[in-house]
Amino acid sequence: MTSGRIDSGPPDAAPAGPGPAEPEPTGSRPVGPGLAAELTGICGAANVITDPQQLRTYECDGLTSHRSTPGLVVLPQSAAEVAAIVRTCAASGVPFVARGSGTGLSGGALPRADGVLIVTSKMRNVIAIDPVSRRAIVEPGVTNLAVSKAAEPYGLFYAPDPSSQVVCSVGGNVAENSGGAHCLKHGFTVHHVTGLEIVTPQGDLTWLGDGTGASPGYDLVGAFTGSEGTLGIVTKVVVKLTPIPEAVTTLLAAFTTMGAGGAAVSAIIGSGILPGAIEMMDALAIEAAEAAVNCRYPEGAGAVLIVELDGPAGDVQAQTEAVRAICTAQGAYEIRAAQDAAERAAIWTGRRSAFAAVGRISPAYIVQDGVVPRTALPEVLDRIGELSAEHGIRVANVFHAGDGNLHPLVLFDDTVPGEQEQAEKLSGQILDLCIEHGGSITGEHGVGVDKSRYMPRMFGADDLDTMQLLRCAFDPAGLCNPGKVFPTPRLCGEVPGVRHGPHPLVASGLIDQF
Amino acid sequence: MTVLSVPAELASACAHVTPAGPADMVAGEPARYVAAPGSVSEAGAVLRAAASLGLTVVPRGTGSRLDWGPAPASCDLIIDTGRLDRILEHSAGDLVVSVQAGVRLDDLAKVLAPAGQRLAVNPPATAPGNGGGTIGGLTAAGAAGALRYRYGSPRDLLIGITVIRADGTIAKAGGKVVKNVAGYDIGKLFAGSFGTLGLIAEATFRLHPLPETTGWITLNCPDPAAAAAAVQAVADSALAPAAIELDWPAAARPIGVSVLLEGDEQSVAARSERMRSLLGGSGAEPNLHGSPDDAAGADGGAAAGAFRVLQPSSGGRGSPGTLLRVAFWTGQLAQVLAVIREAAGQHGLDPGISGSAGAGVLDVAVAEIADPSAVAEFVAALRAGLKALSAGSLLPATASAVVVHAPSAVRAAVDMWGPVQSLELMRAVKDQFDPQRRMAPGRLPGGI
Amino acid sequence: MTADDAGIVAAIAHGDPVASALDPDGSLRQLAGDCVHCGFCLPACPTYQLWGEEMDSPRGRIHLITQVLDSGHGSAATAGHFDRCLGCMACMTACPSGVQYDQLIEAARSWAEADEGERGQRRRAPGQQPPGQQPQLPAPLPPRSLRDRAVRSAIFATFPYPSRLRAALVPLRAAQRTGLDRLAAGSKLLRRVVPEAAAALTVAPAPPAAGRGGVVRARSRHDGKPPVAARRLPARVPAQGGRRAVVGMLTGCVQQVLFPQVNAATARVLAAEGCDVIVPPRQGCCGALSLHGGRRAEAADFARATIEVFERAGVDAVIVNAAGCGSAMKEYGHLLAGDPDWAGRAAAFSHTVRDFSEFLADLGPVAPRHPLPSGAGAVVTAAYHDACHLGHAQRITAQPRALLRGIPGLVLAEIADAGTCCGSAGIYNLVQPEAAAELGSRKAKAVAATGADLLVSANPGCSLQIARALAAAGDADGDADGDADGDADGGSGRPMRVAHVAEVLDASIRGVPLESLPG
Repeated sequence: MTSGRIDSGPPDAAPAGPGPAEPEPTGSRPVGPGLAAELTGICGAANVITDPQQLRTYECDGLTSHRSTPGLVVLPQSAAEVAAIVRTCAASGVPFVARGSGTGLSGGALPRADGVLIVTSKMRNVIAIDPVSRRAIVEPGVTNLAVSKAAEPYGLFYAPDPSSQVVCSVGGNVAENSGGAHCLKHGFTVHHVTGLEIVTPQGDLTWLGDGTGASPGYDLVGAFTGSEGTLGIVTKVVVKLTPIPEAVTTLLAAFTTMGAGGAAVSAIIGSGILPGAIEMMDALAIEAAEAAVNCRYPEGAGAVLIVELDGPAGDVQAQTEAVRAICTAQGAYEIRAAQDAAERAAIWTGRRSAFAAVGRISPAYIVQDGVVPRTALPEVLDRIGELSAEHGIRVANVFHAGDGNLHPLVLFDDTVPGEQEQAEKLSGQILDLCIEHGGSITGEHGVGVDKSRYMPRMFGADDLDTMQLLRCAFDPAGLCNPGKVFPTPRLCGEVPGVRHGPHPLVASGLIDQF
Repeated sequence: MTVLSVPAELASACAHVTPAGPADMVAGEPARYVAAPGSVSEAGAVLRAAASLGLTVVPRGTGSRLDWGPAPASCDLIIDTGRLDRILEHSAGDLVVSVQAGVRLDDLAKVLAPAGQRLAVNPPATAPGNGGGTIGGLTAAGAAGALRYRYGSPRDLLIGITVIRADGTIAKAGGKVVKNVAGYDIGKLFAGSFGTLGLIAEATFRLHPLPETTGWITLNCPDPAAAAAAVQAVADSALAPAAIELDWPAAARPIGVSVLLEGDEQSVAARSERMRSLLGGSGAEPNLHGSPDDAAGADGGAAAGAFRVLQPSSGGRGSPGTLLRVAFWTGQLAQVLAVIREAAGQHGLDPGISGSAGAGVLDVAVAEIADPSAVAEFVAALRAGLKALSAGSLLPATASAVVVHAPSAVRAAVDMWGPVQSLELMRAVKDQFDPQRRMAPGRLPGGI
Repeated sequence: MTADDAGIVAAIAHGDPVASALDPDGSLRQLAGDCVHCGFCLPACPTYQLWGEEMDSPRGRIHLITQVLDSGHGSAATAGHFDRCLGCMACMTACPSGVQYDQLIEAARSWAEADEGERGQRRRAPGQQPPGQQPQLPAPLPPRSLRDRAVRSAIFATFPYPSRLRAALVPLRAAQRTGLDRLAAGSKLLRRVVPEAAAALTVAPAPPAAGRGGVVRARSRHDGKPPVAARRLPARVPAQGGRRAVVGMLTGCVQQVLFPQVNAATARVLAAEGCDVIVPPRQGCCGALSLHGGRRAEAADFARATIEVFERAGVDAVIVNAAGCGSAMKEYGHLLAGDPDWAGRAAAFSHTVRDFSEFLADLGPVAPRHPLPSGAGAVVTAAYHDACHLGHAQRITAQPRALLRGIPGLVLAEIADAGTCCGSAGIYNLVQPEAAAELGSRKAKAVAATGADLLVSANPGCSLQIARALAAAGDADGDADGDADGDADGGSGRPMRVAHVAEVLDASIRGVPLESLPG
């Protein structure tokens, strides 16, 4: 259910955090010294971690409420090493989990005590930039922002921009199909990835897609993207690069109420303008951001709207005026427009730091991630307000208003008995609200280990079973990041035809096989 | 012709099951029965019945693109989606629409237009009366037109799907909101699956505002290098083109490059001016309010050719000749054009080349009268040439040439899909969804 | 129950006396608990940039600190990760949650510096315990290697004491003068324990007694010009024009030995801007090196002495021209918070501490600036390097740039990844030479890429480190036959001068050409 939480107060030394029971392995074989020796043979001793204290630093990703110390950690430096590691794991039936920068907010990279954690943070080369084809080939550990930095000299950038873009890895982005504030206009990771070199759960290196975005056969690139590390491990990524827009204007509009801000969002979209981003923060979120980064948003705002317009200079200018007029008509009492990169950064700083900044105004909190149809936003926000009042738990709202992606921050004091339970309950009720309104239990943080139990509320048994067919196709042994996404694994059973001799057409020489 | 009686299992599953008629063929493969379920649950029942009877099944919309891809190895039952024609929900404020698979593109457009919205796919038009084909067919075939450059193909706009598996299981994935990462994206898997994994029953799409106006800028280029330079300049520009099309009707003709600009009057006018000067003045013919064929005037020049990709001639049902789809990294446009012309010239062919040059997808149309063995050799030479272009890349291939449709003699002589990567994984997917290989068997690469 | 109480209870409940002793009031736990594990610090951390391992990131180190607090002990590997932290505090700038990492890592360092006597006891087998004696609490971290301890002892016994440092440098200077430095002749004391230290000091500028200005030289030749500045500043440098302030000036230990000309320039600029500059002759080390090295008791002694000296001077502000020193002196209030006799004085003193740039930017210029004509042309391009203890620890980044921009004809170039440490980091380049060298070489590349004529820094350690890395890059470029005159060269073929902000301002105010900047 929950995402990032501060573990303050009396911390428990035990590996298990205060969250719900982990799908801890039962009765599986421990990861022994034999395996460590084999992996050392592949990656070298310096890249195989066995010291218990070192191992524990990998016990969680960006979501600290789920923890599990990995049996082993390996830090491969090449695709071939990843393949060899996975082959070794597969041969001995040891589960493995891939991890990039460890910033995920759904426990998608939660390790297994009986497994190997494969960390791609040493695979961080931008291998090639092809400015003519507008493509980059990068290793999975490259950070999202590093791709844009590498492309910048060519007037290009990598469009998906999750808030954690300074640190999150492209491999992780592929696993989670990461979005970001600008996905409203520019799309998600899946719209910008055209080829993937992966290591299959059997340990084979193979390419999905050919980088064109129109390769023949099933769209395995599309199916793999967003599969949360359960279908294999990405070792190279071909991404599309986009020309840097000629003009960008960032508007900050302050409203006295969330309702007025929400009305402005609807009016902007209704006018046919598609901004790069529309973000909204409520008073409590603003308070946190001010405390953290002194972003100096207008005083007394009940809601601020950040609207970013990008595109050809003339269009941006015209749209800026239009958005100004709309915001004014909807009651904005102050509108600022950033004219340069520094001013733009100043506006965004408050928004980008909002999650972590809430730590300044609350001892503990839960970051929720849910989606509702944009038109349902006012109703859902009202209802969240009511729930907050009912539980006596404060909720700060930060969200991608343009696409209805809510990030309620449920604030509580974990030293007050019962408050955490109340907060978790409230957080779960917000997800129910999203489902009721035809939305989703996650817009960008993923299901991971955290929300797998909510999947049956959004999907029926047949839906989940159908999704798991894909899992069985890639990972019939169930060793690749097991326990994530789905509440219960599907038994893949006898897999017909995984290897059933050459296809007649291949045998006849009529078709080629790659 | 023997009249088949409809098996009781099928008849009880759906009232609209008939023996197949002479027109009920799939790329030359005759069917035995045609079922036209009127609801998703009925469609589920039909597939359950087909499973119990061990029938092979091919879904069909208007049949506009039914001859795309290899013929199925067998086709006992056609599931016609014509009665699954309800527009389920158009949430204008959310820019989202949910439809049943049998809804025709033109019918959908009529519903969306009053709200100032559209589904931003404009595949090459189909035979008259087909209304652009159905949403289900379009999605299953992965058809896309000029707007591919800006908006991608149907898979990029698809946000939710209901499918019916080979065993009749009805399942959904995705949802009604654009931003959603809950669960696997089964929609991506079904988009472009040619019916081999199951039936697409319902789909939900993200919509875009209808532009207030559109304008085309066209430019005639003497050779591939000049055309590639023009495409590159447009793509690198900050003028936000919606499409960058190319049309090269014959080797001896100039290459037309056409750019589509969309927006409000003022914006399109301003950007057209800038685009014109970017493309070097005199050669560029701005045409702000019409379609490219207007711009081209009577001489049927490049712009008309570019527009042709939006017209029936290149890909509709029953269109004659062989159509290939070549996908490549856009930086290699000039080389790809040269490879196509060289391979064709070697075998005495002079195909028309057109398509979304800016997105790296071109259609190559070979006349019906061409010698089938020459076409087959051309395809082989083209693939060899494209493979050579991939040399030095980290990827095993960076281009492909697929035969989309062809006369039967050509079909018999070529591997329509050509080499495909990770075929084993594709087979594994097929084996999971359709272990008995009853869904459109053989329509995808490797006999899938 | 307050959160603090909860911490104590947790530690006690844990049943580990060492654990509770490490954090008796639970305050460290609380600081560590502020971390939400978002990972924003990872890309900012130089060691994570180098190695890409969680344990060598701030987030990982905080996790390790929590583990030590929980269990009462850390593994040898854990201790190594604490040692590998540069203390650059880039993570604090990056942290959206305001985690006070400086306090956490200082605590961790103090565990590593636990008393050697105790360690002796600890290493004794249980049977050897003297009967009837309470068993000593085990140290939280395993002992460092003999060599490591010897290096650290030598450093902390030398660097904070200008006279000892000067003595240690004598053989080195001699070697420089005789051109025998190829033999890496260095201080015997240092060389005995760590060749790297001697190597690091080979970049020390030539002694001012024989110095020629300008380029920081790997191995300078000397032209016998008279010294630009005396080694010792007068106790009072009077303001020029109207007096606008009375300020004290810290001369520092490394600064006054290796860069006395920076102190001279600092005093001249302050005087030119209307300040009476008081230079208390009896001042010693400010304790920064000890504080950042986890030797809090030693640091506290230095702090008390420093406070006393400047209190007696009766100044409006204490001006510091070394980033690390200023950062430490602004922390005195926190350092001595537990000492009832000193807490108030220390806090008050910390409030008077100003970095040179910070103070001048606030004061505003009165002395006219002149262009710094360089041989190449009228425009001088300067790259400003943010010292970590200025940029991250004191958040002073705009002021030095503003001062430099105030010089006519000076163009400021930004260094890519400006927030990343150069690897100097106090004594880091002496105790972690490999990592320091790698960071130095990365920084040198970024600096060279600016194409600047002049590198400006505000910390002596950074200047030494980057000059050495630039020189090494120049050598690696194969420029010259091992040219003993090897100017620090970014590889562009042009030598890059390295100077302190104060020196550049001083040259501008005095109208002295860049070439004659004192070296």
